[in-house]
Amino acid sequence: MSRKKKGDIFEIKWKTNLPYRWSIGKLAVKFFEELKENKKILGSKCPKCKKVHFPPRAVCAECLVKMTLDDMVELPPRGTLEGFTVVNYPFTDPSTGGIRPFPYGYAIFKLDGADTYTMHFVNETDASKMKIGQRVEAVFNDELVGDLVADIPYFRIVEDEKEGD
Amino acid sequence: MTKHQTAIVGIGQTKFRSKRRDVNIPEMIYEAVRMALDDAQLEPKDIDAILIGNMDHFEGINFSEMWTGIDAAPGYLKPVVKVATGGTTGSSLAICGYHNVASGIYDKVLVIGWEKLNEGGATTGIITAFDPVWERPSLAGALGPLALMAGMYSAKYGITPEQAAKVTVKNRSNAANNPFAHLQMPDITIDYVMSSQVISYPLRLHDCCPQSEGACALIYANETEVKKITDNPAWFHAVETAHYYTFGTDDKMYDLPTATIASKKAYKKAGIKDPINDLDVAEIYEPTSWSELSWTEALGFCKPGEGGKLLDEGITQMSGELPVNPSGGVLSTNPIGATAMVRVAEAATQIMDRGEKRQVPDVERALAMGFGGSLWTELMILGKEPMR
Repeated sequence: MSRKKKGDIFEIKWKTNLPYRWSIGKLAVKFFEELKENKKILGSKCPKCKKVHFPPRAVCAECLVKMTLDDMVELPPRGTLEGFTVVNYPFTDPSTGGIRPFPYGYAIFKLDGADTYTMHFVNETDASKMKIGQRVEAVFNDELVGDLVADIPYFRIVEDEKEGD
Repeated sequence: MTKHQTAIVGIGQTKFRSKRRDVNIPEMIYEAVRMALDDAQLEPKDIDAILIGNMDHFEGINFSEMWTGIDAAPGYLKPVVKVATGGTTGSSLAICGYHNVASGIYDKVLVIGWEKLNEGGATTGIITAFDPVWERPSLAGALGPLALMAGMYSAKYGITPEQAAKVTVKNRSNAANNPFAHLQMPDITIDYVMSSQVISYPLRLHDCCPQSEGACALIYANETEVKKITDNPAWFHAVETAHYYTFGTDDKMYDLPTATIASKKAYKKAGIKDPINDLDVAEIYEPTSWSELSWTEALGFCKPGEGGKLLDEGITQMSGELPVNPSGGVLSTNPIGATAMVRVAEAATQIMDRGEKRQVPDVERALAMGFGGSLWTELMILGKEPMR
């Protein structure tokens, strides 16, 4: 198959907007309200098995039992690093449509008291400086709007602490 | 209990490439379907039902079953159903096909998996498979989570980047024997992998699978129909699926718990006590080189943490006791909606002794695995004889 020159390719171009409006559920609304108004991070705790979920959600997967606003619990903005990476590849940022600047740190950790893990940005771009077991702490934006990444742009690695301190 | 023995009697695959600009979607699918029908020497009218699937958002077209199930396959006035489960689409399709024949509902079923993912943005496609509020904003495609998994696996067990690189070397050189494979690298070396850029620590570029376009089709028949079609089918012995939680982060992501659970159940169903000895070949779904090492542990080929040692000892090489991915695996070919079905197609090819240059000698039983961003595992065990 011969390669066509650019000028030979028949092409039609058009742009499409695909807007969505998702209902996120009462617990998620409460989460974002508390983040915006009170700089708090909430999870939800199953009334039956006591598993603490982050992100908060309405149904516990193990028990298939409902969690309500009354089952939401506050979680500290701190956790312990379980895994880390430094993404060094261009990806589209879903919030902006542009390319997210790279390299950037990305990690997985459990917020203290949560039974599920969280993945989020971290402020380190040198993988050799990160280690499983380091403590991480949320860095909040000065202005809070009720958006996970805008309000907590990243977690910082707390240099002077290790798990168990 | 199944009512009917079920076997694969026809296989079609397109030659997988980065971009199939020479065809549109139904034309591409037709190639695999025509090949499978010709392979089974069946007419379009012989097919009772069709299952088709891909990961819709890669192409941005959401009625592919209507159009491709009909234009590209003999679906007019027949039952056609779409199955779409992300990376596991191909294996979900393969398992659903089995259900439809083993249950006795249909005698002969055509199952098709395909993807033309370079027609859209890969990130655009992938992020639609993640929660818009909680996961998408920080997501870096599949690469971020796969890198985290590799890092955690490496830290836990001391697996080295060289051990991971060996997987790419094995698979892409195996792929040189597979006429359908996308990336074929007969002369690949560890240095080639190790000198590629670290794109997300610890993953190097060549630790990661490509993006391929193409289609795969399988024709299934029950034991009565098999007799009229071929004396060389690949019989289903066991089928097992294990799903996961809503979010990848709901449990530890490495060590693949769904593979451990699914394999234990599948082996029990198939009477397999020692996978290394009781299986003759395995086609597993490895999105990264590190994944293959980890999955060999989760599938019970060796103890946790010993995936690197297993490969170092040569057990999963073409010359070893249990060759893994003679086709080249996902590291060589990744047309997402088809990828997991290609594992089944290749396992069946091995059972049928039609692998030619990539054929493992004396294959009686083969394992095929599907996996995806959802962290599900889907397994099928195929055999040369019907399961007794």
